[in-house]
Amino acid sequence: MRLLSLIAILFSLSFVPAIADGHGIVNVYSARHYDSDIQLYEKFTAKTGVKVYVVSGKSGALEKRIIEEGGGTADLYITADAGRCGAFKAKGMLQAGLSSDVIKSAVPKNFRTSSWVGIAKRARIVYFAPERVTGAELAGLTYESLADPKWKGRLVIRKSNNIYNQSLVASLIKNNGKKATEAWAEGVVSNMARTPKGNDRAQIMAVAAGEADIAVANTYYLALMLSGKKGAEQQEAAKKVKPFFPNQDGRGTHMNISCAGLVKGAPNKSNAIALVEFLLSKEAQEHIVNNTFEYPMIAGVSPHELVVNMGLDFKQDLKTKVVNYGKNQAAAVAAMTGAGWK
Amino acid sequence: MKTFNVWYITSFIISLIVIIPVLTVFSSYFDNTSDYFKLLKNTFLFEYISNSIILLIGVLFLTLIIGVSSAYIVSFYSFPFSNFFKWSLILGFAVPPYIYAYSLTAFFENYGTAYTILKFFLGEGNYNTHIPKFDGMLGAILSISFSIYAYVYILTRASFYFQSNNLLELGKNLGFSKIKTLFKIILPSARPAIVAGLSLVAMETLSDFGAVDFFSINTLTTAIYNSWLSFDDLAFSNQLSFYLLIFIFTLFIIENFSRRNAKYHSPMQGGFKLKEKIKLRGLSSFSAFFICFIIFFFSFVFPVCQMLYWTILYPKNFFDLDIQNLFINTIILVSISSLVLIIFSFISNYGNRISKSKFLSILTTISISGYALPGVILAVAYITFIAWFDNTIINYLEIKSIKKLFIGSILGLILAYFVRFYSLSCNGIKSSYEKLNRSIDESAYLAGYSKLRTFIHIHVPYLKSSIFFVFILISLEIIRELPITLILRPFNFETFATTAYIYASQDLLEAAAVPSLFLVIIASLFILFISRYILKEKYE
Repeated sequence: MRLLSLIAILFSLSFVPAIADGHGIVNVYSARHYDSDIQLYEKFTAKTGVKVYVVSGKSGALEKRIIEEGGGTADLYITADAGRCGAFKAKGMLQAGLSSDVIKSAVPKNFRTSSWVGIAKRARIVYFAPERVTGAELAGLTYESLADPKWKGRLVIRKSNNIYNQSLVASLIKNNGKKATEAWAEGVVSNMARTPKGNDRAQIMAVAAGEADIAVANTYYLALMLSGKKGAEQQEAAKKVKPFFPNQDGRGTHMNISCAGLVKGAPNKSNAIALVEFLLSKEAQEHIVNNTFEYPMIAGVSPHELVVNMGLDFKQDLKTKVVNYGKNQAAAVAAMTGAGWK
Repeated sequence: MKTFNVWYITSFIISLIVIIPVLTVFSSYFDNTSDYFKLLKNTFLFEYISNSIILLIGVLFLTLIIGVSSAYIVSFYSFPFSNFFKWSLILGFAVPPYIYAYSLTAFFENYGTAYTILKFFLGEGNYNTHIPKFDGMLGAILSISFSIYAYVYILTRASFYFQSNNLLELGKNLGFSKIKTLFKIILPSARPAIVAGLSLVAMETLSDFGAVDFFSINTLTTAIYNSWLSFDDLAFSNQLSFYLLIFIFTLFIIENFSRRNAKYHSPMQGGFKLKEKIKLRGLSSFSAFFICFIIFFFSFVFPVCQMLYWTILYPKNFFDLDIQNLFINTIILVSISSLVLIIFSFISNYGNRISKSKFLSILTTISISGYALPGVILAVAYITFIAWFDNTIINYLEIKSIKKLFIGSILGLILAYFVRFYSLSCNGIKSSYEKLNRSIDESAYLAGYSKLRTFIHIHVPYLKSSIFFVFILISLEIIRELPITLILRPFNFETFATTAYIYASQDLLEAAAVPSLFLVIIASLFILFISRYILKEKYE
């Protein structure tokens, strides 16, 4: 009967609920599944005794699961890109509550709402090959001027289904209107050196390899390559491209955030708020910037040295509220796909 | 009614569980889709369908060439290492398409491994522009083909093997050359087996999620997933599923039909002479070796080496990974699921055996249709159904919500696996159950055995080896399985497959190498365990 008892044990195992309900826990749905984030949660647990349960995955699938579970399980939703947090809020899945004094004093107004806040920043910038792009060509470069015919066959950028692009285009719609942005998207498509493919890092490498002269990608990717974490070859490749921060004469460079949102019906609301406050502490911010090469959300913390070397004195776009990224997301997708942006 | 017993009811319940996701998809077909993205959909629908078709044609073409040519060489000729290739050619199965895709990208991307190798041998230089890029559609076709060509190989080889020597002699007598014999005699008579293999390949290709998602190609399957997620449009997603399912069910029927035809090559049908393999020498021997080696190399050695290289280059990823935990999770999933699957397959097969009910056998046929449902659609349909069930019936009965029990729990995962892999397990048990002569049952009853006792003391021991075979097959599928596990898994619960996928989706391919490598090693071991069943050279 040993076999029977084994079977019984196995069966009962399958009925173990996914999460333990209790006071000392917080359930996190995270699309940022860096190992360094897990280490952060461990630090939080060590400090507060609150155990962090994580389910990670791509943001779309996580959002779906939160919606279908219908509340009562998820406490905090962590993802990269304000566009996602904004869109999720628009679906009525987030609730107000992230407005404690700690959070308010840590995060600039532009990067938070009452239901979701930024925990780290990144900029979406232009990378260029100094061998083939002159300073004169670059002078005064804006996102808008990426549609200029002088870049014909010289530009690489990701697909239109990428959220970073969607948020960038959403910010253009906010600033220039739908019509102008649709025309802009057509210009960008006709400037592309190749059909969009690969991730941000692949765009930077395409410039290094000579497939294109300029690329659009987020800031932390170059630092990641320069760090050598991606191997000696990519480190060498990263040195062949230079970052350029667009729109310096105007509203500033497009900024985006990694964000944490308080889920509607969160069973452990206070623990969730405590976790967000912890993520905004100096200790946690230093941990984040040194592992992911993002910019810190709070003042008084320096980014990683490699990010500092890329230049810190650029003008950030603090005018366009990140909440617009979610609002204009659908229009952004329509503008890009309408222009034949794959 | 005499047949209305416990076996009957169980079979009925099994069929119901499996059929629910299919019904969920079909019932939503007639829902109205939101017209919010109507325009967008109209432009996209064509792209989805044409991408699916291009992918399908590409993979069918490649697997046909690779599978049939390797099966031909290995079955009819003997050359150095021909016995090694016979089983090593099925190792490609151990590398799921998405893991193949990671390796392919890692090797050929700008400043990838190919660049490193060239730099090592030739010194500095910009080789990137000279290195071919296998990404996008081409990458997906290659990844899927090398991962699943073994379906064609195994079935074609089996058919070649049992092809009567008389046929070959006929060719010789007619004065046919080797090539002419191949095309006029050998291939036509192996056609049902080849078609069966190709339809399996086609089903897997259409349901692939990991590789096409990685190369961001919009096929019907990824479109279903994306329209469900980003457009929040379940009805449209289900409509796409409907089209896809019709496609896949057609293949499913073709496969079943061809398999039946393939059985005509039975050695029992008189005049079977075991053929001697032709010994190759010189150049032709080398060519045979070379072709097999190339296929083995690209399907198995290449991806494994790439992952091994990364693991060695970045050992930190190896030490950071909680391998023990992943291993335990995998064992939990594999053991519970296969146990449940095998038990229910037995019940259903036994029910069929003793009741001889037509209706029951139709139910069984329906219940194997779950395999045709792509994992990602199954997971979507599963969540949809549970949410619906909870919101209506459970809510009406005023019982505590069951969502937590079924979504994001091991139980939920096992239920979904059950639907997906029931056909595998049921058919596996069935094929050897049918060989067990019914007169044995009669004798047992005469000897005073009850039905249950006959079942436990006679049937189960007799079918031991096929239970083992089915167990390994299920395990193999579950450790490679990605979309269901990804969508339905509990908190703090990862498998090798989900870990690899998550790292890869974070652009950390080098970290994805470690879990991928473990997955491939475990899968290879499983394949080696059952290779003698797959490649059996004599009828039992």
